[in-house]
Amino acid sequence: MLGAALLLGQWVTNEYFFFAGYVVLQFVVLATAWNILGGYAGYVNFGSGAFFAAGAYTSVALIKGFGAPLFVQVLCAMLVTALMGGLIGAMTLRLRGIFFSIATVAIAVILETVVMNWGLVGGARGITVLQPEAPAWFTSYNRFLFVLMVIFAIAAVTAARYIERSWIGRGLRALRDNEEAAESLGVPTMKLKVFSAAASGALMGLAGSTFPLYMSFIEPTSAFSLNYAVSALAMPIIGGTSSWLGPVIGALLLGSVQQIVTVTISSELNVLVVGGLLVFFVVAAPQGILGLLRRGERQ
Amino acid sequence: MILNRVQACLALAASLAMPALGNAQNPIRVGLSIAQTGPLSGAGKSGLLALQIWRDDVNAKGGLLGRPVELVVYDDQSNPSTTPGIYTKLVDVDKADLLIAPYGTNLTAPVMPLVKQRDLLLMGNFSLDANAQIKHDKYFNNAPWSSAKAMAQAYLALTGQLGVKTIAILAADAEFAQTIAGGVRQGLKERGLESVYDQNYPPNTVDFSSMLRALRAKKPEAVFVASYPSDSAAIIRALNETGVGSSVKIFGGAMVGLQYTTLMESLGSMLNGVVNFHAWVPERTMDFPGVRDFLARYQAKAKDANVDALGFYIPPFDYAIGQILAQAVNATKSLDNKVLAKYLRENEMKTIAGNFRYGPTGEWASPRVIFVQFQDVLDKNTDQFRSAGKQVIVGPAAYKTAPVRPFSEIRR
Repeated sequence: MLGAALLLGQWVTNEYFFFAGYVVLQFVVLATAWNILGGYAGYVNFGSGAFFAAGAYTSVALIKGFGAPLFVQVLCAMLVTALMGGLIGAMTLRLRGIFFSIATVAIAVILETVVMNWGLVGGARGITVLQPEAPAWFTSYNRFLFVLMVIFAIAAVTAARYIERSWIGRGLRALRDNEEAAESLGVPTMKLKVFSAAASGALMGLAGSTFPLYMSFIEPTSAFSLNYAVSALAMPIIGGTSSWLGPVIGALLLGSVQQIVTVTISSELNVLVVGGLLVFFVVAAPQGILGLLRRGERQ
Repeated sequence: MILNRVQACLALAASLAMPALGNAQNPIRVGLSIAQTGPLSGAGKSGLLALQIWRDDVNAKGGLLGRPVELVVYDDQSNPSTTPGIYTKLVDVDKADLLIAPYGTNLTAPVMPLVKQRDLLLMGNFSLDANAQIKHDKYFNNAPWSSAKAMAQAYLALTGQLGVKTIAILAADAEFAQTIAGGVRQGLKERGLESVYDQNYPPNTVDFSSMLRALRAKKPEAVFVASYPSDSAAIIRALNETGVGSSVKIFGGAMVGLQYTTLMESLGSMLNGVVNFHAWVPERTMDFPGVRDFLARYQAKAKDANVDALGFYIPPFDYAIGQILAQAVNATKSLDNKVLAKYLRENEMKTIAGNFRYGPTGEWASPRVIFVQFQDVLDKNTDQFRSAGKQVIVGPAAYKTAPVRPFSEIRR
């Protein structure tokens, strides 16, 4: 896959492909990250936008404050959001169901307010981040970022697949079905929840870490946009939350549809499309596309 | 039945032939993204209508270089994160010949690195200082201002005329408002003004009464406000309820939204005395050739298009973007961005919004922001704004139609 991406970076001449492809892959990472906590453990996070933006703003702070290289930006963005996920996990995962979800929304609002009042990263006005020269192999920096996002997506999906298939995944599934029962059987539920919140946070931060360079400009309203939170949640639900493949299918499908709708029919219709698909799948196919496929196989 | 089938076949054939005809004529494609939904859509839609009128006008005269002009328009949803992708698509997929920037600074900023990298011509659309950092030599703005500082200077000159010594500043914590408030802060010393109150507020603030009370307690002689449409309305309402005290001789400055017909109509007499920046008003010094005719045609279409009824603020300048592009293309007989940019740098632009030349960063060389004072405004009456005398121009001197009157005197 990576080889194919590198070849694409060399051969495809249409720059738009990389712009749209980057966004779709970014959603693959976000949806996969959301699924670790939301799909495997059943804790619905509405604050994906906050984690994404925290990753993005960590990069901005490092660029503006220290002129840090991209590698350091990505690493620090993951560290910050992993810590954030872990801390929030430890503080709020004792809250069940809807209360946990409400807490994640509150965190998004608090973080956005902090960024709006932080001068170094541009405050409410936003800030321009100039792209450096493209590395020797690439004709433009966006092609380089696209290939980087392919690597991120592969890494995120591999991590999710590992978590799902290891004892961690089994533990998370147990606590999703019945937390008390799992606890009484010796599953370390709290440890598992904090770990999965940190892992999910780190991957969301990873998705956001290159966003300022991709955009060349960042401001809080679009970085903290509710669209990220809604998409990160809608994609796994549409694809199927039970497996690592579900978020990938959902993100590729919905992400591409969103890109196409934005530039063809345009307007806020793309939000409507997400909403419509979400309602359809929740009602008609609660197990998502994967669930439909499996049912088809059984029949 | 057979007839129906024949008709259907003919319709299908016609629909298939239509695009083929279009290709044969090979239109000049002018690409842009503009907010048709989201918080900037009010202004975005009215600007788009103006551009559509220009397109129809230019096509009625045979197009440009003998080719029809086509607008390729996308909705950016007022969301800056959509614009780099949209402009890449405009350039690479739609093969747009000419580019117009999205409406507003925040949406234009993400596009600037892209156009600089590809070395493309970009016509700005009411941005402020969008090219200050990037310094792209093929960016040209339509708005009649050069920089925030120049805009602030024009307001500070008015405080001088009223003999003001102390000033209070109230500004939204957002791009445009902070930039211009910064210009005012810089200019205070030169004017011998003392700042007695200086407060930024988050853009989603709705209640300003406590801020106005705190401000009144400082007894300033001038109040400079930099705000966005919803806060502008909230501040004017709070001003009416709380008041700012009899010490204030001038109130207003950079309140975005007070140029919109719906807000002017709903606020009505509450606006009296407020001094605010503007781009065009129906005063005698603003009678540039063609502008009244354009506005009459715009206003006739505005109701159906459900956009700003009077269209005084942005539409003439969006029509002007089209005129500027047409002038450059016709004069150079070229669509080469380098050739067009050279022409734009070196020649006077003739538009319905006035004639002007460009300065080094692609802003107007001699900015023409006007400051108007609302006088004798009545409640719930849109028509009153169609004629002179309700928004008199109090500065700069070249366009002045009446002297500025002290705020406290008008509000008494």
